[in-house]
Amino acid sequence: MREVWKPQNVSELQSAIKDALSSQITLELRGSGSKRRLGRKVHSNVLVDLSRISGITLYEPEEMIITVRPGTPLAEIEAALAQHNQRLAFDPPSYVALWGASSDHGTIGGAMMTGRAGSRRLTAGGPRDHCLGVKAVNGFGEICAAGGRVVKNVTGFDISKLVTGSFGTLCAVSELTLKTHPTPNDTVTLALLGLDDVTAVDTMRQAMSSSCQVSAAAYLPEQITNHFANNTLPPHISATLLRLDGFHPTTRARAETLSNQLKSIDGHQLIPCTESRPLWMEISNAQCFSQNIEHALWHISVPPKNGPEIIDHLRSMFKFDYYFDWAGGGIWVEIKNQSHDYSTEIRQTIRDLVGGDGHATLMRTPHDLIDVAAPFQPLAPEIEAITRRIKSQFDPMGIFNPGRMYKGI
Amino acid sequence: MPTPNSNLIARRAEFVSALRTIVPGEGVIDDTVALAAYECDGLTAYRQKPMIAVLPETVDQVSEVLRYCHNVGLKVVPRGAGTSLSGGALPLADGIILGLGKFNKILDVDYENQCAVVQPGVTNLAITHAVTNDGFYYAPDPSSQIACSIGGNVAENAGGVHCLKYGTTTNNLMGVEIVLMDGTVLRLGGKSLNEPGLDLLGVICGSEGLLGVVTEVTVRILPVPEIRRALLLGFNSLESAGTCVSSIIGQGIIPAGMEIMDKLAIEAAEAFVNVGYPLDAEAIMIVELDGSAPEVDHLIDIVHGLAKDSGATSLRVSNNEDERLSFWAGRKAAFPAIGRISPDYYCIDGTIPRRTLPEVLTRINKMSDEYNLRVANVFHAGDGNLHPMVLYDASIPGELEKAEKLGSDILTLCVDVGGVLTGEHGVGVEKRDLMEVQFSSSDIDQQQRLKCAFDDQGLLNPGKVFPKLCRCAELGQVHVHGGKLRFPELDRL
Amino acid sequence: MQTGFSQEQLKSAPMASSQEVIKSCVHCGFCTATCPTYLLLGDELDSPRGRIYLMKEMLEKGGKPSSSTVKHVDRCLSCLSCMTTCPSGVNYMHLVDHARAYIEDNYQRPLFERIIRNTLARILPNPTLFRLSLRLAAWGRPFQFLMPSRIKNMIDMAPQKLPPKDLFEKPNLAKTDTLRRGRVAMLAGCAQTVLAPQINASTVRLLNRLGLDVLTAEGSGCCGALPHHLGKTKDSHAFAKANISAWIKEMDTDGLDAIIVNASGCGTTVKDYGFMFRDDPEWADRAARVSEITKDISETISDLKLGPLKPMGMRVAYHAACSLQHGQQIRNEPKALLRLAGFDVVEPNEAHICCGSAGTYNLMQPEIAGQLLERKVKNIEATGPAVIATGNIGCMTQIEKGTGIPVVHTVELLDWATGGPRPERLAP
Repeated sequence: MREVWKPQNVSELQSAIKDALSSQITLELRGSGSKRRLGRKVHSNVLVDLSRISGITLYEPEEMIITVRPGTPLAEIEAALAQHNQRLAFDPPSYVALWGASSDHGTIGGAMMTGRAGSRRLTAGGPRDHCLGVKAVNGFGEICAAGGRVVKNVTGFDISKLVTGSFGTLCAVSELTLKTHPTPNDTVTLALLGLDDVTAVDTMRQAMSSSCQVSAAAYLPEQITNHFANNTLPPHISATLLRLDGFHPTTRARAETLSNQLKSIDGHQLIPCTESRPLWMEISNAQCFSQNIEHALWHISVPPKNGPEIIDHLRSMFKFDYYFDWAGGGIWVEIKNQSHDYSTEIRQTIRDLVGGDGHATLMRTPHDLIDVAAPFQPLAPEIEAITRRIKSQFDPMGIFNPGRMYKGI
Repeated sequence: MPTPNSNLIARRAEFVSALRTIVPGEGVIDDTVALAAYECDGLTAYRQKPMIAVLPETVDQVSEVLRYCHNVGLKVVPRGAGTSLSGGALPLADGIILGLGKFNKILDVDYENQCAVVQPGVTNLAITHAVTNDGFYYAPDPSSQIACSIGGNVAENAGGVHCLKYGTTTNNLMGVEIVLMDGTVLRLGGKSLNEPGLDLLGVICGSEGLLGVVTEVTVRILPVPEIRRALLLGFNSLESAGTCVSSIIGQGIIPAGMEIMDKLAIEAAEAFVNVGYPLDAEAIMIVELDGSAPEVDHLIDIVHGLAKDSGATSLRVSNNEDERLSFWAGRKAAFPAIGRISPDYYCIDGTIPRRTLPEVLTRINKMSDEYNLRVANVFHAGDGNLHPMVLYDASIPGELEKAEKLGSDILTLCVDVGGVLTGEHGVGVEKRDLMEVQFSSSDIDQQQRLKCAFDDQGLLNPGKVFPKLCRCAELGQVHVHGGKLRFPELDRL
Repeated sequence: MQTGFSQEQLKSAPMASSQEVIKSCVHCGFCTATCPTYLLLGDELDSPRGRIYLMKEMLEKGGKPSSSTVKHVDRCLSCLSCMTTCPSGVNYMHLVDHARAYIEDNYQRPLFERIIRNTLARILPNPTLFRLSLRLAAWGRPFQFLMPSRIKNMIDMAPQKLPPKDLFEKPNLAKTDTLRRGRVAMLAGCAQTVLAPQINASTVRLLNRLGLDVLTAEGSGCCGALPHHLGKTKDSHAFAKANISAWIKEMDTDGLDAIIVNASGCGTTVKDYGFMFRDDPEWADRAARVSEITKDISETISDLKLGPLKPMGMRVAYHAACSLQHGQQIRNEPKALLRLAGFDVVEPNEAHICCGSAGTYNLMQPEIAGQLLERKVKNIEATGPAVIATGNIGCMTQIEKGTGIPVVHTVELLDWATGGPRPERLAP
């Protein structure tokens, strides 16, 4: 068994890191571990459990900011925000079901360090867009801060962004300041039924280009609609979903305007708030793919218009289920096979069709492939070089989450 | 600034002829009279003629120029449109200015993926102009948007009056091509989301030209809102204006823009453009809402009610586009208007938590009395960005220094109340020496280490942002006490 | 911007006035964005802000200007787009005019260039000489290949066939045959009378129709703008004085309600006579009186209220001449008039950018002028017009070179819509 350290506060965390430096041991940084299956497996001497460095240190609803420690459960933060009708606008997704675990929503540290966002990534941005400041212990054992607690800030380098999504490979974060956002008092979804994926992507483009303020757009092909939201959607027919957030009477007015603009397409259906919210949460969490936990699951990011083309190419190579989020630019692909992840085929297809403008992340690795898989898109050599230089400027001894993102990083 | 290296200056002729082999024609400027035009950007208090100015036209030229400078140890200051208000493009006596003015083409407007790919010298407003006929626009709108280049916007993470709702440059930036000091060309991000690996794009944005030279930019373009409406509110105290801001946000309303002007700013603007601002008010506030018509109309009603409840003494709602623009006319003219009531002014740019505005303005007024210099205030209430303008007369000996001192006192105050030194203008050379007010030495060390990862010789735009130059070798050393656990109290399982 | 003029230097009135202009610049750089040469060349030195620096250095230092300063000041079109953009009210026009005069007095240009500049300054303002040289150009056309490129270019600019003589080149009076509402003098102009006499003819018909007597005053002629922009102050002042005398004489005898200018390049200069002679006790008052009543033709017609007329069913691209939109800040009137007159008016993109004509600029800087023309024509043609209307002869001859779409003066269309003849350039 690996040794587990549980620092209680930032000074203990700093001590732990200084110890690691002086005894030349490596550390795996972990919150609740709900996202540990995302990315490469870390082989470290010690597991540093950050769950005790927890708690909301400052929440100012009027200023729309919250300062939290990394081990704070997301659920705690969401509950605190909900009291003031606020939320984190990037819809922090929960993937535990994908790996067959019970519902652990994870910690804010994990949500920020893994850098994932749900359906509203397209319009609200990702964790990186909502991180205003960080405090951390770096790989020199120093406590350092970057950013601040105000929305508009250009003082110094934006290290908060660099650290967000870094999978804990640069430093051990001890505090995060995030933007909060009012929770819209209504969410409705305009569903268009029966489109093929090319028409759907074009329709989503039209919707996103309209002035109706569509906040998210997804396309569920006919094979999977029945896996969603307690049969909110009619089964065996594809659904193109357009999400509208806002103030109650006006969301419907916007949905009507949008429906009129798309009236050349048949089969409109309006999904009300109570059903819309769980539906979009399931889309963000890829919940429909939590049945076969030994099947490889990919998230492919491409320019939206290329979505259907990518799917078309992959069809000739292997069997899979899929759906589009991000108006066609975020594709979830579940492989119908336990022994292959088809990473070569998928990455080659992306390269062939969109060049450097796309990439694929292996969100769930079949057990047998864990030691050989490359979950993240390999970096171009010049980018890999600068990444290594940055890593060594934050963590020169390579003690933090060694190899979590890439070999040696 | 770093002490000029006379050995480098002595080799000027050699550098000029080498650079001319890379950038032919008029692209290398060594005429000492002409170089004066490059001696400063939008901040004229600091001036320095560069040794040479180079205006490349292609990415290959940029890369070769940088590689050459890297090899001979020549410092480089990148420059876009030269509109920085923090001296971000202030030249060095022993360095070159690398001007990106010739990179002024829009390369691709991609409506299907809602983005535009442009060269860095394209102005912010030109992007909007290029897509406006098709119903799109580029959201960040710094007040210099007519002239500031998108490359400069990326370097400074430029903001504008609509940041609360639409974010700053970094939130609207999808990709860049940058050239590192050693000539390496990197393409970061692009038309797809969530770049794999570290968020290099995020850290390039706002790096003030210290990490790389931007040679191509991909930005998100947004559909033009169906309608924009504004309210012009007068208040008899800053407190009640502040209350109004809080209650709007408290209702979950995110206005597109929310601006407060204090009495002196109102008077100056009204004298200049005469748009009907209430002169008896202590503060006015402009609230703009945009979006679909039913939503905007609905919200206008709510805000109207909130303004009344907060004690607004005058209250106008725009009913058409002309009226809306007239509300903004005074605000937009605020800076030149101040310029006309005072021979010189010094525009400061700090951010504070919104609720501290009344307190901060009271203290600024006190300082203003102490220094005997008038201060007018314009405030982006949406995002907390405060622009005090110190009125002074440079022809009175010592007054510039006094204005600068007052400015640094105000910025220190911003940090004291939980804010930051700069919201959108950048640190540059102007606020460099105040960095230690906001950051500890280990904070600054870590930022400098990042610089070392990109430019280990410290050749790219040195002397900006940081109070001291990078010492990469020294910063890279780990100080540990070998071999034994020094912190036995730690909970270990 | 801080300046470093000595007390001695500031005793000179033009220096003192330039110092004021320079001081008012806050170096914000807004002007760079709308400057045509910066747009093309991307060099600070080819932007208004950069030129202000160069001019400041030149004037402060005194003595011989550096050749690079001269090069970049010469490249300025004087389109004054920068003045429209400037939030601080910098009077770039007065500064660049001073700088051009300073260069002319203190800098020796190469012989060939001097000859060209002197020749242009001599010929263009004089219709008789100009007509003669255009005939020579026609004969010279076959031998163009033997000539230096600049001369070739000038010959290219010359029309193949000369139109008939302008009736208003000589003093003349055309009385209105409807209810008389006033009496105005028209600046007949110089090169325009030779190249496009129909403009004055249309102007006079239109004004007569609207109730104005129109005269061309004895002794008036070239406004002086052409030599003025070549830095030849002595010549330009002589022309200006001749005009001032001629019009003051009319004003003091039968009276003038306005002085009408239908070439906006000239209008900008006549409106600036007051400034030009501000320090000349003998002329200051009279010059100011002249400037005060000078109007562009579109201003006068707007004041007279052209009634809405029946639709003409023709798509007109309105090209804003820089001297009109920036020099005189007249932007809406011509478009509004064309709409009232029943035309379908469209405005091209980049309407604020110069077409490259700029007086003699297209002759002196053919390369930049050519690029601007190409850009302008592309923008105009994108609007798909049947005809292009503009308020300045310079723009007309320039744009005609780049497109097959007919180019006419705004008054020609207004004249046609109110009962005058169809402009000749419009194929029936």
